[in-house]
Amino acid sequence: MSARLKTSAGTALAILAAVYVLAPLYWLLIASTKNTSQLFGTATFLPPAHLSLGSNLAALFSFGGGDFRYWIINSAVYATVTAALATGVSTLCGYSLAKYRFRMRRPVLGLVVGSLMVPATALVVPIFMLESYLHLNNSYAGVILPLAVYPFGAYFMAIYALDAVPDTLMDAARIDGAGELAIFWRVARPVLMPGMATLFLLAFIGTWNNYFLPLVVLGSPDKFPLTVGLGTWASELHLAGSSQPLYPEVILGSLVSVLPLLILFPFLQKYIARGLTFGAIAGE
Amino acid sequence: MAARSRPDAAQRRAAAGLTTPFLILFAVFFVAPLAYSIAESLRAGGTGAFAGLLNYRAVLANGQYWGGVTRMAYFGVIQVSFMIILAILLALFLDSIYCRGRRVFALVYFLPYAVPGVIAAIMWAFLLEPDLDGALKLPHLAGLASGPLTPLSYRSALYAIMLIVTWEFTGYNMTILLTSLTSVPGQIVEAARIDGCSELGIALRIKFPLIRRTVLFTVILSVIGTLQLFNEPVLLNDIAGIGSSYTPNQIIYNTAFSFGNEPLAAAQSVLLAAVTIGATVVFYSLVRRRADPLRMAR
Repeated sequence: MSARLKTSAGTALAILAAVYVLAPLYWLLIASTKNTSQLFGTATFLPPAHLSLGSNLAALFSFGGGDFRYWIINSAVYATVTAALATGVSTLCGYSLAKYRFRMRRPVLGLVVGSLMVPATALVVPIFMLESYLHLNNSYAGVILPLAVYPFGAYFMAIYALDAVPDTLMDAARIDGAGELAIFWRVARPVLMPGMATLFLLAFIGTWNNYFLPLVVLGSPDKFPLTVGLGTWASELHLAGSSQPLYPEVILGSLVSVLPLLILFPFLQKYIARGLTFGAIAGE
Repeated sequence: MAARSRPDAAQRRAAAGLTTPFLILFAVFFVAPLAYSIAESLRAGGTGAFAGLLNYRAVLANGQYWGGVTRMAYFGVIQVSFMIILAILLALFLDSIYCRGRRVFALVYFLPYAVPGVIAAIMWAFLLEPDLDGALKLPHLAGLASGPLTPLSYRSALYAIMLIVTWEFTGYNMTILLTSLTSVPGQIVEAARIDGCSELGIALRIKFPLIRRTVLFTVILSVIGTLQLFNEPVLLNDIAGIGSSYTPNQIIYNTAFSFGNEPLAAAQSVLLAAVTIGATVVFYSLVRRRADPLRMAR
């Protein structure tokens, strides 16, 4: 094969893959400007002659007593609080594992690494059972607290802190009379910030995208995140007797749920990729 | 390595204080649910009396449950191999000297990571519906098929889920592989080039062997993800009625909430965790070199 042929074969594959990725997202953008009859009556990938975006938006935010507004706020609250809590708690734990020698270090480290193997979804139904016992189900805390348990975060931060925080700097601060908490806050925290940003983003996206846990734990629609809310709408599409199928609401609601992250993604990509790659590099 | 100075009381107190918040959350929302579900799984559904391993025997004899597990194993063999091969090819191409616009491609492929599985399933469910997506009628109109293509019929839905999962995670895996490729030393590639090795040869005989462990890592991650599939089949069932017990997690969900048999659902969860951990242990035993898990990363 000539170099030219190989280049074009590779480029063709790359472009084909890009089309595969972008086609549904492009379709979502186009389809959100169509009403139900336009969805079934106009070309799939072309915009309609008359945009129905305005009426779709009005329908989206007014349907079912305006539940959609709650879902946006709930998703934002769940994702932000969970990510902040998970990042804070895992950073403190990972930093200790990396920088202190203490009797429980090996057991805690073993616990953190061992728990990485337990698949998250296998815990969902058990978490629900425990939460009903504790009367925590159908509450904000019932979604946030289990998702804030983030062993990967502690593991990530332990390895990050190992190199990022020089022991000599910590010892110098000790000689200057700084306490251990002051050392964490003034010496360690500033250099751990990039790692914390990565953890925050991973936990934020993980919570924003989560469906299984809130589906199981929550009962009232005004506590649903976007994923669970849109799921209930989608399941009503084909119910006999529903007067008005919810196609435009589901489609535009989906677009509204993904647009903020997609717009921010080019700026966040670097931080996120560092976190994902981390496990793989650790395996090298 | 950690804390060269001799640990004194203040440092031990600091370590205890800083790890405590994590350990409390971990104990309440990780250890306790596991312990609680193991205890639950030993009771009889309905009466709640101690039943020993009765539920586990019921799960082991449950054809639907193992049908779900084997269906996902079949799914995994096809979908994971296709996805990982595609991810490897894309990563090798993006890392080669032939690629123009590497940053744009890398960003585009990674975009689905920001899309919830629920939304991905909704988009594809509509795109795979002949009434909504006219393209599915083309083979019929061209006389190549007896009717519109119906990818969401019960028989082909498994392949529709493969299409969706591949859409969601190829870029994720490619991103991991591409980052691993950037750590391949430039001198090795340069030396091979001077020795007259072709770019294809460099990609397949030099770069690929150097990222083999990362490939193994993405394979295991994907197999674990396959065993845990839930969102996509649930949404496809909500929208197109493909059936509600495609995957182990759907079956566990039904056992707990449609049939209200929490002890049996607990046993199913514990077994699913065991199967998944089994797969992971194999991986860790393959890549672990040294005893200290932190050192391993360096």
